[in-house]
Amino acid sequence: MKTMEQVLQDWEAVIGLEIHCELTELETKMFCGCKLEFGAEPNTHTCPVCLGLPGALPVPNKAAIESIVLAGLATNCEIEKHTMFYRKGYMYPDMAKNFQTTQGPKAFAMRGWLDLDVDGKGAEERLDMRDLAVGETHESATRTETGYTTHIGITRIHMEEDAGKMIHVGGGEGRIDGATHSLVDYNRAGTPLMELVTEPDLRTPEEARLFMQKLRQVYLSLGISDCSLEEGSMRADGNISLRRRGETEFGTRTEMKNINSFKALHDALAYEICRQAEVLEKGGTVVQETRHWDPAAKHTISMRVKETADDYRMFPDPDLAPYDLSDEFIEGVRAKLPELPDQKVARFQRSWGLSAYDARHVIEHRETSQFFETAMAQAGSEAEKLAKPLANLVINDLTARMNADESFDLASCALTPARAVELVALQAADTISSKQAKEVLEVVFGEDKDPAAIVEERGMKQVSDTGAIEAVVDAVLAANPEKVAEYQGGKTGLLGFFVGQCMKEMKGQGNPKLINQLLEEKLSS
Amino acid sequence: MASFDYSALTVDGIRAGLAAGDFSAREIAEAALARIEAADAKVNAFLQLIPDAALAAADAVDAAVAAGKLNELGPLAGVPVGFKDNMNLLGTRTTCGSHMLENYESMYTATCVQRLLDAGGLPMGKLNMDEFAFGSSTETSAFGTTKNPWDLERVPGGSSGGSAAAVAAGMLPITLGSDTGGSIRQPASFCGVVGVKPTYGLVSRYGVVAFGSSLDQVGPFARTVRDAALAMNALVGHDPLDCTSQPCTTDFTANLEQGVEGMRIGVVPEFMTAQGLEPEVGEAVLDAIQKLASAGAEIVEVDLPNAAAAMSAYYVIGPSEAFSNLSRFDSVRYGLCDPGHADLGSQYEASRSRGFGPEARRRIMLGSYLLSAGVYDTYYYPAQQVRTLITDDYRMAFGECDCILAPASPRTAFKFGEITDPTTMHLSDIFTISINIAGNGGMSVPLGLGKDSKLPVSAQLICPWFQDENMLRVAAALEREYGAAELPPAFASGRAGE
Repeated sequence: MKTMEQVLQDWEAVIGLEIHCELTELETKMFCGCKLEFGAEPNTHTCPVCLGLPGALPVPNKAAIESIVLAGLATNCEIEKHTMFYRKGYMYPDMAKNFQTTQGPKAFAMRGWLDLDVDGKGAEERLDMRDLAVGETHESATRTETGYTTHIGITRIHMEEDAGKMIHVGGGEGRIDGATHSLVDYNRAGTPLMELVTEPDLRTPEEARLFMQKLRQVYLSLGISDCSLEEGSMRADGNISLRRRGETEFGTRTEMKNINSFKALHDALAYEICRQAEVLEKGGTVVQETRHWDPAAKHTISMRVKETADDYRMFPDPDLAPYDLSDEFIEGVRAKLPELPDQKVARFQRSWGLSAYDARHVIEHRETSQFFETAMAQAGSEAEKLAKPLANLVINDLTARMNADESFDLASCALTPARAVELVALQAADTISSKQAKEVLEVVFGEDKDPAAIVEERGMKQVSDTGAIEAVVDAVLAANPEKVAEYQGGKTGLLGFFVGQCMKEMKGQGNPKLINQLLEEKLSS
Repeated sequence: MASFDYSALTVDGIRAGLAAGDFSAREIAEAALARIEAADAKVNAFLQLIPDAALAAADAVDAAVAAGKLNELGPLAGVPVGFKDNMNLLGTRTTCGSHMLENYESMYTATCVQRLLDAGGLPMGKLNMDEFAFGSSTETSAFGTTKNPWDLERVPGGSSGGSAAAVAAGMLPITLGSDTGGSIRQPASFCGVVGVKPTYGLVSRYGVVAFGSSLDQVGPFARTVRDAALAMNALVGHDPLDCTSQPCTTDFTANLEQGVEGMRIGVVPEFMTAQGLEPEVGEAVLDAIQKLASAGAEIVEVDLPNAAAAMSAYYVIGPSEAFSNLSRFDSVRYGLCDPGHADLGSQYEASRSRGFGPEARRRIMLGSYLLSAGVYDTYYYPAQQVRTLITDDYRMAFGECDCILAPASPRTAFKFGEITDPTTMHLSDIFTISINIAGNGGMSVPLGLGKDSKLPVSAQLICPWFQDENMLRVAAALEREYGAAELPPAFASGRAGE
């Protein structure tokens, strides 16, 4: 198979997402009073309504309606005042009534959008952006200093109820094939679920990944869901098709359901791009089907191909009166909108002079964003000066640590915002080198001490005494006459070698700026 | 044991007797059980008797009476009551007259049932019905037919046939039925008792196994208008578990004695000339109009130009909703299960084929077809448009009158097996269906016996939305003219169908 980069020379990917998010922060289910709780004993949070017992009736959860209106406003959607719930019929034991209560042609939130800032390595996936000058626009994407910005349309966000959880027993890895029997846990049945559907505006797996990530940030800022990908409270279905560059018609799409990590979403779409291209380039046709992403095998496999299209026999739910949202209600919800991620990025840039790139990555997680804000508050008058190194610490060290270790909790770890400020201040004052700063950081985590105390205790202070450094520099140069000759003969790349020798002599405590400066002076004289 | 004529007792009579110490609630319950044992052997109205629950409730009433707290008890204290078997009552089976739910034990109690119990009613048992309320004769019940107490060779009507027959035979003073297209009013008419289909939203549907959710409404059967009004008082009001239920604080007994003077009574010419309306029924209704006019009512003609389309709209909306409502009966969690199949689809198919009778299967298939892609726009959507037109017709008509008087059923009770063609059977409801479509209230009130058939004939009173007290007021006036519903000769005091 060709690589994705090769494929995308000739083909354009068209991607749309359906992102489900459970409103886990609510007290109760969508249509009954059962408690929402993840991980409870099976079937302990159930009642006649969510068990679909004969005669039970749904009563909508008003707080859920408020949450979805909040989500709609935060994603620039228009709020539909007059909507209805519909019944979507399908026979399967995870939905006790054998129909799902969802919304019809009109959802609570319609016609919204989010803008994505794509940069770094991820921006390279978008080949048509490469040749554009900064500020230049192609389709709905505009080239920026660090990558590009693209405008993604949101078709709708509708409200529905989640299904129960099926557990197949006796087959391999909980799969239905070969299972001897199946169990159903209805604790999840009736959980309020928002489904957001995008326009087919995404062009690369990276854009899809970033969209889901940004949406998660928005939802988290609204406080409506824990957005846990691991526990399945947020999950995505990805639709993807290919078309020759320059074509405007859509190709046949495949769908991958229930993807529960950002990486899996990216990798599954990237694999499908390559697979579909291979099929098409061999003269074949892509079959419209649902495919399953196997993260271990790193490929997608075909699920059962349906011979006929599903007929869900949708019709307005006669048990639920049509909704008429008042202007007062909508404006009341709007007044509750918190600061959204884009607004936060702008504020971080404005307040502390961060670059858009740094600000965006600092606020990527709620934890890092809060950590950064607290640290800035503690930095006082130094805040603006320390913002950049602190952002580096958050983006490069702390985010990496969070990504690598699920159990790592930034809010309760040994590196308090105050210690982080102390650490970057030590480095900014040239008291310690960047290399030493990393060592100190490790010790903070390991021994739970203040950075200043660690530096003091270990005598890690950076040597910025010109006399002391000069002595070392002279000794290193004297010990390597041949290298000095080579350098002076034009092999200036050897400077790094001399710096390394000096640092080694000084046990890593020499001020690298001064060492560099002195070496250059002496070698050129 | 105190001596009293149980079958002749009204709600007021029971309360007065309890207050005077003429009898205890336990004696009432025992008398009810004895009456049921004797009469139901012939009528077969009951699917299940719950003597223990009845006696326990009676003892609670007696304890309150002994403590001098009768006044604190609800309006139905000591009154034996029965429930159509599509109403959940914890501790009973709720079969819906279907093999599908033959052994289904209720996990909770329906709001309407609970409200009668809270009002002091004594729960005697569950009553026969057409399977899942699909029918007009109670012949589609999986558990045998119920006989009309006026003629045991005739049907009691349906689908709430058991509820109507139990009241008509003097077994219970009050029962509950449900009415989706006429299932209270038509059997009330066949059995010669009062039957009320309240305005949609007055009575909670929570716990009543749904047929057509936008059409279903629960209401009482009784032998007197006042008893029905007292039951209404207990039943109505908002239920937080049914978001289509509405608040209501009306006392339905308040204006029963007011008479009809100054009321405008609407008559619909299209109804009076409808094909299939038996002459004796038409004549009886005309006679009722005369009597109301004599009593001081103003008779006005009103038009319902789209009412003729109600049947068509009903046979789209009803089966569509029924198909969806019945999809939960899948054999997996409860209900009849045909086990041992290789895959779930086969289990569904086999279980549902065995569990549902022919009329239920017919409606499920019809609804499945009507909602399917491409067909929906041809039937379901226009049916909803017709619904709006009919609702507008009634709105216009009620601009000119306070209550409409019409036939309840085009004919008197027919014999078992007499109507086998489903379409003809469906025509039993031609005068009742448009009210379910529009959602306003309707009720049957007896007009005595037909001059030819010597079987009960009823008028239907139709009221504007949430003005159900209007029709009860007119019904009380008619009751004064025609006398309260009598027991059939074979079930008169001391007789039980011999």
